[in-house]
Amino acid sequence: MVALVVGGLVVFMLGGVLAAMGRTPGDGVLVLSALLELLVLVQVVWAAVALARGDRPAELLVFVLYLLGTVVVMPLVVFWSLAERTRWGHLVVAIGGLTVMAMVARLWQMWQAHRA
Amino acid sequence: MPDRTVDPTGDIPNIPRAASGEPRATASGFGRVIVALYAVMAVAAVSRSAVQIATRFSEAPIAYSLSAFAAVVYVLATFGLARRGPTARRLATVACTVELVGVLTVGTFTVAVPSDFPDETVWSLYGFGYVFIPLVLPVVGLWWLRRTRGGTGAPDYLT
Repeated sequence: MVALVVGGLVVFMLGGVLAAMGRTPGDGVLVLSALLELLVLVQVVWAAVALARGDRPAELLVFVLYLLGTVVVMPLVVFWSLAERTRWGHLVVAIGGLTVMAMVARLWQMWQAHRA
Repeated sequence: MPDRTVDPTGDIPNIPRAASGEPRATASGFGRVIVALYAVMAVAAVSRSAVQIATRFSEAPIAYSLSAFAAVVYVLATFGLARRGPTARRLATVACTVELVGVLTVGTFTVAVPSDFPDETVWSLYGFGYVFIPLVLPVVGLWWLRRTRGGTGAPDYLT
């Protein structure tokens, strides 16, 4: 969970910085996006195991929707940025990182709400 | 991008016309970032209103109907900005305008009489729950539509 928030933050910051530098997107941003996606997938598996064990977060439906949502964000964002090989491609990826961060935070909230 | 390769004045034949005269694609350059933001908001708004309406519509029909309306507006704005052509441009302009009016109206309403909105919509409190993106996005969107409509041309750093 913490790794994911940090991962999202790293993608967001790096995307933002590269965009500010006016660099054109290269493999670095792709590798980083793939790493973030990997973290997201780990979280999905972890959550799936917890749900299968009978752990229930607050608002189960919303939780599952968010979980599925986090999986598709980075692939879509990378796809959308590939056609734009300018600094703005980086900013698009940065927004993806921010979105994943926000969604993970919300997931965490729902998970905590059920524990409390 | 310019479809006329011959200068209409005839002075310099076969030299592409300056891009400044023609409307530019709204989804390239900085526009790609705007479309990405709109897409995120569209997905967020659609999912939120779908869940609200499916699970507890009777609790707050007005707020949830408004959620659904906002979701449709975001979807239309996303498509309008992502596609080329005068129809898409008009669609995007209308959607961004409706969005701006919506966020200002609902925002003001939720601040003035919060009791009428028992549950949040994307536009509640001027989009506070979405770090005010709903408030900023339509302004940026409309500005970008103006920038790309042709005639003046966007500055180079935005392409």
